[in-house]
Amino acid sequence: MPEDDPVTQQNSTPARNSGVTDAALADRAAGGDRDAFGQLVTRYAPQARRVARAILGDPTDADDAAQDAFLSALVKLEQYDPTRPFGPWLMRIVANAATDRRRRRKVRQAEPLEPRHPSGGELPDAGAERRELGEALRAALALLPERRRAAVVLYDVEGYSHAEIAKILGVPEGTARSDVFHARRALRATLTAWKEQP
Amino acid sequence: MMRDNESSPFSHERDAELSTALSAALDAGDHTAFTARVLAGLESARAPSWDTELSRWARVGVAAALVVVIAGYLMSQSARPAAAEPPTVEEAIVAPPVADAFIVAAFLNR
Repeated sequence: MPEDDPVTQQNSTPARNSGVTDAALADRAAGGDRDAFGQLVTRYAPQARRVARAILGDPTDADDAAQDAFLSALVKLEQYDPTRPFGPWLMRIVANAATDRRRRRKVRQAEPLEPRHPSGGELPDAGAERRELGEALRAALALLPERRRAAVVLYDVEGYSHAEIAKILGVPEGTARSDVFHARRALRATLTAWKEQP
Repeated sequence: MMRDNESSPFSHERDAELSTALSAALDAGDHTAFTARVLAGLESARAPSWDTELSRWARVGVAAALVVVIAGYLMSQSARPAAAEPPTVEEAIVAPPVADAFIVAAFLNR
């Protein structure tokens, strides 16, 4: 795992904000401490929502899946091994919840959006540019197979290692590595094309 | 154009630019509201659902019904009068059957 891996940092040192480790919070949450569970949710909500959205596309479905995952994690906290990082354990539950939701409800896909680029002579403001880039990336992401979407987000956005992604997605490490590689190449092409637009 | 860190799936280097752009593209915002929603869901998850409650009461109901059936059976057994004992040989000889009495009466009335 890379030295600057944020996941390693957040799991091997007292977690950000409160100085309490994830394992300690998980232990308290398993004992019925609602505040401890709330802190875990606060810490991992952004990550869980992004991963669920990468898999499902639709933000509402993604939030539903992320919520299901947190509640499921609470029930399963007894099974969590506190000597191991909490993030990958939780992300596996998130990925499963998102995949289950997709299968169960045949979730409506986010409409694949055609990458839109600035047209005419007007220079859009920075906010509009960011929105357009976001739409272009989401559209490119939606064209990828589900597992590749999750893999690239887990690697490049959330900072997990290939080995951790393999465990989260339940695939061999080589498959995770390949998924990240191909997904990243497709997204990088979108990003480059967007940047090269006049 | 390919970057160095994209040239091989064995690379551990992360794509910082892609990471920032993807993170922004996927971020749903307002995580405080989401956290509140999860915690609210926690309360409703703790309350037993109607089918859980029903199945719990169904088990109690089946057990109670079994107790009632067994108790009823035992009570009916204890309240039933003892079966009439068969007549002794002497009673059978002295007391003629009812049918015989009818035949004698009919004969006398002729």
